[in-house]
Amino acid sequence: MAQFRAKKLDLSCFVNARVIRDHTKRKVFEQYETQRQALRYIIRNTTLPPRARAQAQLQLSQMHAYTRSTQINNRCIEGGKSRGVFRHFRMARYPFRMNALEGNIPGVKKASW
Amino acid sequence: MGLRGACRLSVVFLHHPLQATRPSLPQYKDSFQAAGLSTSQLVRTDSEEQQDQSTTPKDSRIASAQRDSLVPLSPEFPQTHINSKTHENALIPKDDIARMPRSVQAVYLKPLKRKALYGCPSCDLQLRSYNVRNVEFFADFALRAAYYLHLPALGPIPLPRITERWTVPRSNFVNKKSQENFERITLRRLIQIHDGHPETVEIWLAFLRKHTYYGVGMKANVWKHESLGVGKTMDVSLENLKKNSEQKWAHFGRRKNLAISERVYDMMNEESFRRISDAPLGS
Repeated sequence: MAQFRAKKLDLSCFVNARVIRDHTKRKVFEQYETQRQALRYIIRNTTLPPRARAQAQLQLSQMHAYTRSTQINNRCIEGGKSRGVFRHFRMARYPFRMNALEGNIPGVKKASW
Repeated sequence: MGLRGACRLSVVFLHHPLQATRPSLPQYKDSFQAAGLSTSQLVRTDSEEQQDQSTTPKDSRIASAQRDSLVPLSPEFPQTHINSKTHENALIPKDDIARMPRSVQAVYLKPLKRKALYGCPSCDLQLRSYNVRNVEFFADFALRAAYYLHLPALGPIPLPRITERWTVPRSNFVNKKSQENFERITLRRLIQIHDGHPETVEIWLAFLRKHTYYGVGMKANVWKHESLGVGKTMDVSLENLKKNSEQKWAHFGRRKNLAISERVYDMMNEESFRRISDAPLGS
């Protein structure tokens, strides 16, 4: 992580160690996405020589964990929580509720039917 | 207020002066009446009808309106200038009393619509908002703009509402059994333009984009007729579109990419790959 982490903080929302880590993962993924996709293509293309495919497979497994898209997790911008986060609002359940009751989320209101 | 289904041609200028006028928008009724405008003022006399054939409002009476007597358009505008002529209003015949221009009078009434000759759709404009007033007002505005651009418009057709619901626990810790429901309702209106010239439609859309109303989202599908050999022009236009939208698409993850295929090519041509690519496995 230390090799990828930004020297100067480049986040403006709620900042947490885990939030910083997630942000770093996103940047690293963006940086290496092309390479990763290219390797995946080589592995899956059956018309290419098997040796090349095996080599690509090896190279892909040796890449840093931060280059994987599955490592990225949507965190709450209010509290940095990773569980119960609504994708649309980027907030966890409780802050969503508090903001909705305040009227900070456009269009959302208490439902009654 | 909703007009459902087919378009209804509502006419301002009637032949018979005793016929009832069209109903006005409820929110403007008070200001309309407070402005001192009687319903009979909307009616055109026969002489006026014969004078001009076009549907655009005639401004022959503007000269009289711009005379000394000022008729307030709404209660907010105070009558600043009161002279002897206003006292004589009762004696002056109704036709000579200063009135607002027809286009201004039309604002207080339902929007006019043009009739489509062929009924071939040119443009589909969908307006979405979380509240009713916004979307209705802007749909009304769009229809008026279409009328003045000679675009036959259908609408506003109300599409089904979109309701999103979320149930969240009330507390920030445990107590799952007590939860609260939230919802977000999106209201939609559709305005369809038939037989519209593509450039006119573009102007209309640009006008709406320039005068966007707060809280209203717009999405328009535009169709137009092309001649044979459209493939070449489409390629060129696609290139131009790509340049404009590349900045926005850059934020989205895309699977098939020119960059990726280039990278694959570079990788395969690397020394390490090329050297061993033909070698057998398991050696």
